Formats: sequence, structure tokens, C-alpha cells
Amino acid sequence: MAELNQIDLRTLLTGNKRAWDGFVTAAAPLINTVVRRTLASYRLSEEDVMDAAQDVFVRLCANDYRLLKTYDPARAGLSTWLAVVSRSAAVDHARRRRQATTPLDDVPEANLGVEDRHVEKLKIPQGLLTDRQMLVLKCLYDEEKDVSEVAQLLKIDAQTVRSTHHKALLRLRAHFQEEPQ
Amino acid sequence: MSTERPTQSDRELWRSLVTDRPATGLVSDLDFAAWLEGRLSEADAARIEAAVATNPEMRRAALELSEVLSMPLPAPPERLEVRAKALVGFEVERRAPRVGFFDWLFAKDRRFALPRLATLTAAVIVAISGFMLGGGLGESMAQERYTTTQSDTSNDLTEFLVSDGI
Repeated sequence: MAELNQIDLRTLLTGNKRAWDGFVTAAAPLINTVVRRTLASYRLSEEDVMDAAQDVFVRLCANDYRLLKTYDPARAGLSTWLAVVSRSAAVDHARRRRQATTPLDDVPEANLGVEDRHVEKLKIPQGLLTDRQMLVLKCLYDEEKDVSEVAQLLKIDAQTVRSTHHKALLRLRAHFQEEPQ
Repeated sequence: MSTERPTQSDRELWRSLVTDRPATGLVSDLDFAAWLEGRLSEADAARIEAAVATNPEMRRAALELSEVLSMPLPAPPERLEVRAKALVGFEVERRAPRVGFFDWLFAKDRRFALPRLATLTAAVIVAISGFMLGGGLGESMAQERYTTTQSDTSNDLTEFLVSDGI
């Protein structure tokens, strides 16, 4: 990964073949991993996964490196930006493949059904929780991640995640006990 | 204090709540990457966190990428690299001006200097050998003069015979 962040972008953007080859060697492990990870749930063939990874490289060098030229090293590391771009490209690729190949009749009925379970839910008032508290709760409950994964995502320590979670729940409990709906 | 995994009662409370909110503004790839690296100011980070909290797709992306970026990466299939490298190689070759044999032979740069020198030496040797085998410049001129003289004599004889009516 360190190698990727040492790529000479100026030379690369001039169309230098050696710079491009060096970039491909450095970026391929990351792009390959991100694309595979993103497409894991789409159940695509190996050939499709390879095409999706190739599509990332095509996007990067197309139209005289237009996409690569939008990258600003002052704002983010090349590997992180590349991971974000690769994921977006892989999702686009999977959507195109699915639209093109899966007729509606082939989708299991259970996947199309809407859950018919009427549950009365309470609305969280705007401003009751901070954005960070909301994000921590969503990651813990909706995404079922553990504290260490959320800490890694938010670049904070696990204790801060626990305390954010705790404070958010205190606020929710206090609010809904005082104002039952 | 909460444990690593939320308790059942906390989970039930969460499930009883409507947590969906209208999606906030678009987040660029660069902003998202900067946020993943923790490089943004508090105000900018809050904007991204609001978007990530609102958008399940962004949330999944954030969690997945954060994990991928912190783990050792496996080697990609060789085929992927080969295909990706070919993308720019072909482009450059299409754009490159055609270089002829003499352009290559007398190029001013130092690339392929040894093969060029060898080719040039071989060409000179072949030319000199050919010239020597042909008898050199003097013999060649003498031959030419002889041919011309013969041709002139023949013409005179023909003219003589023609004038005599033969």
C-alpha cells in the first residue's frame, strides 16, 4: 500500500507507459480485493469479477486520465481514494450486469415481497441525537458491527464508541419515557 | 457500561424507533476518502457522518472499505495486471509516430546504440566488398568507356553500309 502512495502521479498523467505499469502493479491488489469484496453478495462469475476490476482501470485512464486527474493528494491518500472509486465502479458494474441478465421471473418471490408486519414505531425527533451518535447506533444495530469495527471506521478508540452508544441510549430512553407516543 | 455487543433491551428500543431520515447532500469520492482517513475538520466530518448515518449503502461502503484498508491484501490474478497494463500500452503505440529504418539508424539518442553501430558497420563492409568485387572505380569506368566506344564503332559501320545501299 505504501508503494501505491509513492506513485509519481505527474509522470503517470503524461501517459508514460512505465509509470502506468508501475501504477497497475501497485494498485491491482487493492482494486482486486475491493471489487471482490463488493461483488461477493452479487454472486457473479469469476469472469464478471475480472471485468469489473478491469473496468476500474479503464475508468482511471479513460479520456486522458480524466478520473485520475480529479484525485487530490492533499485531501486523501491515493489508496483510500482508489478503494472508494473501485467500490463505486464495482457496484455500477454489478447493477448493469443484474439489469442485463436477471429477468424478474427468476428472482425468488421472497426477495420481491414486502414485509406485511404492521409495527407501530416511534420517530426520533430531529436533533435528539448527534450525527455521530446516530451513526454509531446504526452501525451497531442495523449493520450488526461490534464496537471495535465501529471504532476503526470512525478512527476513535473503542471506549469512545461505548460512551457515545451509552449516551445516545440514555437520551433516547429519557426522551421516550418522558413523552410516550 | 455497555458490552462489545448491544444488549437485548437496547436492541428492542432501537427496533421500536423510526431511524430513517431524508438523505443529506451528495458526498464526493474525495470527501468520503478523506473522511475514512480521519482528515476532515469536525464540521466537514459531521456532514459526512450525517450522510453515512442516513444512507445504508454508504454505511456498508464505509465499513467494508475501512476493513479492507486495514488488512494485508492478497495478490491479484496475473491476468488482471496483464490486461490493465495493456490499456495504456496500446494507446501510446497508436499515438507514436512511425519510425523508419533510417530514422532508427541515425537517431541522435543513445538507445540501442550498439545494434545501430553494428548495423551501420555491416552495411559499410557489404558496400566496400561489393565495390571491390566489382573491380573498383577505375575498372568500372574503363568498362564503361569500352562499351561506349564499341557502341560508337558499331553505329559508324551501320551508317557506312546504309549509305552504300547494302
